[in-house]
Amino acid sequence: MAELRPLSVDLYGKLADPCGRVITISIPAAGCTAGELRALLAAHDDDLARLLATTRVLFCVNDRIVAESDRVMPGDDVALFPPVSGG
Amino acid sequence: MSHETTLSPTPIDPAEVLRQFSAVVAGAGAVVSFTGLARGTTRDGQPVTALVLESHRSLTLRSMEDIAADAHARFAIAASRVIHREGRIAPGEAIVFVATAAPHRRAAFEAADYMMDRLKSEAVFWKREEGPGGARWIEPTTEDAADLARWQNAGGTDAGRTDHARD
Repeated sequence: MAELRPLSVDLYGKLADPCGRVITISIPAAGCTAGELRALLAAHDDDLARLLATTRVLFCVNDRIVAESDRVMPGDDVALFPPVSGG
Repeated sequence: MSHETTLSPTPIDPAEVLRQFSAVVAGAGAVVSFTGLARGTTRDGQPVTALVLESHRSLTLRSMEDIAADAHARFAIAASRVIHREGRIAPGEAIVFVATAAPHRRAAFEAADYMMDRLKSEAVFWKREEGPGGARWIEPTTEDAADLARWQNAGGTDAGRTDHARD
């Protein structure tokens, strides 16, 4: 069993509706990809899972937008963005 | 060439900002300004008690600065001023103020129009309308995308801009 570490994830806009603005989940101590992080968040809560399945999400790690294949490490500053602006 | 871009948690006074901008650019041939105001009703006519703009501590301002820099690269303007509110905004209050100064009016008009279209569709904000019936997130519309598309292959003063989709 891989060693796990807690990671706080900031959720922006409507992504905060199901569980609030910050979720703490466990990720492997060696890190995971942003795409794997999305799956871990979906496993955390059913309503969030539904939202993540129907929303185009951007991953922001340490103030930079990253690709789903990019790596997220324990201690990183991680945020998920739904589509911006509009109206 | 100067541009100043600000994110404001407190109400904007568009007339005062325009006065200051006009003083700084004295000598420019043309000054254009635009003020966007929070509406008191939703698109389908329901009352709105507040518009709430959520922002990100670094990416929101950076997205606004990128838009202003692109406007300067694309249009023959000498100066610009952009202020965007964040937080809770009452109906009637200014959400966004854009001003441009140029030797000639066309560039000033077009640069302000361009910045507004991109601010509306690409700036990093999440917008929520609150009213008696609850709160509703505002989603990007096809109209926003169409406004943005106007600039993708426009001629005019376009100085051969390379496309620049954000993230």
